[in-house]
Amino acid sequence: MPDFSKTLRVLLSASTVIGVCALSQTPVHAEDAALDQAVLDRGAYIATASDCIACHTKPGSQPFAGGLKIATPMGDVISTNITPDPDHGIGKYTEQDFEQAVRHGVRKDGAYLYPVMPYVSYAGMTDQDVHALYVWFMHSVKPVASAPAETTLVFPANMRSAMAAWNFVTTKEEPESGDSSTYDPLRRGKYLTNALEHCGTCHTPRNFMLSEKQDRYLAGTSLDGWYAPNITSSKTGGIGNWSEDDIVAYLKTGHANGHAQAAGPMAEAVEHSTSHLTDQDLHAIATYIHQVPAMDDDMEHQARDSFGKAIEAQDIRQSAPTRIDDLTEMDGQHAYDANCAACHGQTGMGTKDQYAPSLFHNSTVGSARPDNLIMTILHGVQRKTEAGDVSMPDFSGHSDVQRLSDAEISKIVNYVMATFGSGDPHVTADQVAQFHKDK
Amino acid sequence: MRQTHKGQPVAEWCASPNAMRLNKLLRMSRRDVLLGGIGLSVASTTGAVLAADTAPATPNNEDLSGFMQVSQRLTDRDTLNPQIGAALYANIVHANADRKDKLNALHALLEREKFTTASAFAHAAEKSDPKLKDVIHEILTGWYRGIADGKVVVYRSALMFDITKDAVYPKTYATGGPFYWTSKPPEVARPKGHPALSASALVIEPT
Amino acid sequence: MPSEENLSADVVIVGSGVAGSSIANELARAGISVIVLEAGPRVDRQHFVENFRNLENKPSYQGPFPAVPWARHPPDQQTPNDYLHTTGPNAEAYQQVYLRMMGGTTWHWAGCAWRYLPSDFELKTRYGQGRDWALTYDDLEPFYYQAEVMMGVCGPDPAVEDLGSPRKQPYPMDALPISYAAQQFRKLIQEKTPWRVVHEPQARNTRPYDSRPTCEGHNNCMPICPIGAMYNGSYSVYHAEAAGAKFIPNAVVYKIERDSANKRVTAVQYFDPDKGSHRVTGKYFVIAAHCIETAKLLLLSADEQSPDGVANSSGHVGRNMMDHTGVQVTFISGDQALWPGRGPLETNVIDNFRDGNWRTDRGAYLVHMVDDNQVDLATQLAISKGYVGRELEEQIRYLASHTVRLFSHNEALPDPNNRLTLSKDHKDILGIPHPEVYYKLPEYTVRSCEHTRYVFRDLIKLMHGTDEQWTPGYFPQDHPAGSTIMGTDPKDSVVDGHCRTHDHDNLFIASSSVFSTVGTGNITLTVAALALRVADTLKKELAHA
Repeated sequence: MPDFSKTLRVLLSASTVIGVCALSQTPVHAEDAALDQAVLDRGAYIATASDCIACHTKPGSQPFAGGLKIATPMGDVISTNITPDPDHGIGKYTEQDFEQAVRHGVRKDGAYLYPVMPYVSYAGMTDQDVHALYVWFMHSVKPVASAPAETTLVFPANMRSAMAAWNFVTTKEEPESGDSSTYDPLRRGKYLTNALEHCGTCHTPRNFMLSEKQDRYLAGTSLDGWYAPNITSSKTGGIGNWSEDDIVAYLKTGHANGHAQAAGPMAEAVEHSTSHLTDQDLHAIATYIHQVPAMDDDMEHQARDSFGKAIEAQDIRQSAPTRIDDLTEMDGQHAYDANCAACHGQTGMGTKDQYAPSLFHNSTVGSARPDNLIMTILHGVQRKTEAGDVSMPDFSGHSDVQRLSDAEISKIVNYVMATFGSGDPHVTADQVAQFHKDK
Repeated sequence: MRQTHKGQPVAEWCASPNAMRLNKLLRMSRRDVLLGGIGLSVASTTGAVLAADTAPATPNNEDLSGFMQVSQRLTDRDTLNPQIGAALYANIVHANADRKDKLNALHALLEREKFTTASAFAHAAEKSDPKLKDVIHEILTGWYRGIADGKVVVYRSALMFDITKDAVYPKTYATGGPFYWTSKPPEVARPKGHPALSASALVIEPT
Repeated sequence: MPSEENLSADVVIVGSGVAGSSIANELARAGISVIVLEAGPRVDRQHFVENFRNLENKPSYQGPFPAVPWARHPPDQQTPNDYLHTTGPNAEAYQQVYLRMMGGTTWHWAGCAWRYLPSDFELKTRYGQGRDWALTYDDLEPFYYQAEVMMGVCGPDPAVEDLGSPRKQPYPMDALPISYAAQQFRKLIQEKTPWRVVHEPQARNTRPYDSRPTCEGHNNCMPICPIGAMYNGSYSVYHAEAAGAKFIPNAVVYKIERDSANKRVTAVQYFDPDKGSHRVTGKYFVIAAHCIETAKLLLLSADEQSPDGVANSSGHVGRNMMDHTGVQVTFISGDQALWPGRGPLETNVIDNFRDGNWRTDRGAYLVHMVDDNQVDLATQLAISKGYVGRELEEQIRYLASHTVRLFSHNEALPDPNNRLTLSKDHKDILGIPHPEVYYKLPEYTVRSCEHTRYVFRDLIKLMHGTDEQWTPGYFPQDHPAGSTIMGTDPKDSVVDGHCRTHDHDNLFIASSSVFSTVGTGNITLTVAALALRVADTLKKELAHA
């Protein structure tokens, strides 16, 4: 059951804060004099840490002009233009309007936002940071005079008014106060993790009302085919066996040697957000994550990155080259050799520098859930940080590199998990098909 | 089939409560599809040994053991992989009718003289019968290049790649990520050793 | 008898290599209906990677690609090889290899993506040799850029390293950082000779590009890039198919039909593998079937109207065969360890001999220091020298780390006597004659190769080289050109400056076969640029139609 009393308390305290806070009543404009550079810098950093760009920018289009389709269980939500353009963006928003949208999910016209916008997380933002964010958006973001298509959702979620009821029952972050830059590491880490990076949006399972289940905080859940894993301090189900430096390396580069690497939505989060945080902030997040209560997992009973070792196989061969039109489906081992071993090695060790990671001691392969391995093969990996521009091609039916059938992918997944990971998951071609249906 | 707690097969990964809840919300139920597919999944081997597509004829143990001893001496190595040895032996003997006898002759010479180096062994072998040089070339070609009887017996596992892996990997296998190649590879001192056999013409196959 | 299918499109293209597939892609994206007929089958990368590993003779670039019997390609560069029959004083120098399958021969190129020099288009005017093209560098410049974007070409900043072909835009990707071996070679050349080593422009990803990954230096560009970091024609096939172009594999075109006036092509006919005949009609036709097969098809279509073959009123179809016949040497450097084979195969070039006033007398050339893994060759060499055991292993390491391979692309000239004809003695299972080529190296090329040998000897000395292994005679570079030569005069050329045949208004040729001279850079980028220009012409004409 949703915790109504807690929700009410949150709402009440939030309004109290607004009541006492002297928010600007008119939009800020670029020409406004004496803009404090420190405020702009803070705003830019908050925007990065909150990863606004990830949803509000369509790849290849203008930053913050919206238009990205975000799949939800209710249908696609199309992100909006949040540039300071007065007609198509948020140019007419006062700081109070802005605050209402960011922390409470209420648009300037009074309509409720869909909770794809993580205002339940941003609700925890300090007034000072909301102010900086507002100033930065109004001053530093280039206005774009175009509006993306409107979102059309299926009943009942298309009733934006229904969101009012949802907002009433769902759990929100409690707002923080004071100057967030002066927090001690644990408080700073909590603030970054919950209010800004909104990690729980993906990593915390949701209840039947699609609210985050606070009793399963960061315990892992499915997300558009990917599985956002349990990142609690559980040493078997979560990442309790990672060092603070491992977590920092992962958030900074998308890769933690011998543990995991980011792909899919997490690669985007690393690329656009976490890789740009200061080392101090990354350590703060790690400090906080480390003490999140351990949640065991109903399927993972051994650390995901603890499985496997390099194999000592001899590649004894007896086949001559086959005719160019021989496209016979290979078994898992041969398909692995032909498609994966070029980079990950026949031993599974990856390249010496781990640009192509080892497949043993690898969370994706050691997980009891083959979801992320299937998704990685279907979508590849794209992740650009200062540490490098990492790319693995996709092997889907649309690949330019190699188009594998669902059966071939299932065989590779089974071979890889049996050889380097948690054991053969016996994935079938039909199961693989579910991961790319209608896409 | 590997079992999880409560005796459920791993293929039911999607049957976790979270997944079930989300699947209910999705247009299609992945879980239903998955559960339907479980009956079809077949237990497969989890062994990591790469089996050959077709096994070469199994050689007689004594011959193979002689071949392995000769090979170890000619490579100055204490251990060589017996599966590769069996495959090489079968192919070398298959390629040439007299190879069995020549290999036996090499083995007999090694047993008699108890050579302590490859060079001494090879030198004495050529002296005793110049035709043994070809056999020695075939053995070395087999172990180092992975080729026998005009076929690739092993590619990646050929010894020539083992002794150069600090610098380069076999073609089609990546040593490092992008641009690793700009770094300085290991220096290699000019060798001081001498050939043990008379020189032969190097015949490079036309491309 | 042709079957009753109704196969028809605005544009019918023969051949699905870089030329045919890129035209198909451009046209399909413009909403024009396209059918591409490919003689060979659909293929995939994973089987080629395994084929390579299973291949005993690894340097054989054709080895991983055993042909289908209805669309044979040369099995190797040997003479004779039972498909491409070469004769004449330099028969062995014209033993070209290529691939007949979806995507074409770029499945096993090294990605070298040179633009020609402005002078390459005006050899006659500037140096009194060969011919001029019926177009200039400036005509082609925008299409060179379009081709570079399509393939994903990396190359140096012209402000830092000017390769002599003026650019309006920078390369789509930054130049590929060269290997330690190439860096040492570059340094040596810079310090000890009047020459220079430049970064080679390559259709290879130095960052993720077009949904394909960055090169990781698997060192196997030829014969098969295992990860798709290098461009090949199959990507254009996929893009064209996604845009709506129809590709028909295993369709061996054997006949080009014309109208009664013999001015317009009306249809092509093809055999399926069972020799069932099919007819495809269209408004425009493009033959993009590789230099050798394109000329073969035009000659094969001879009939009463055109007794010497289609588009052949000049008699020049099949003549003027050219290549970048080269010189190749491998030796053991006496200096520090280089360990070639780390990174992609061909990344750096001595480009001082690509142009100069001496072109009045001898052909231009460029020199590649090939960066390929020499472990196998070193092992063969060490075994042949008589080493065994520990001494053998020391030798392998030393030789593998010190082997240097140099080869050149030397410029040929169009000579009508160097001629492709249909074999009278050899036919394939469909009854189609094999190609036969008479080849005598032009003296211009021989003098160029002599010069190259002097330069190579200097370089060997400079690197304290030993154990020189010169590839005997002249080395075919698989860059055939000239068989449907371009020119302004219909009496001595086959196509005009837009690659349209002089004889047939709606018949275009997109292939290196239209090259009037062959320059020095690898031919593929120029083939692609010419093809994109053909696509541009077709788009305009179909828009007005």
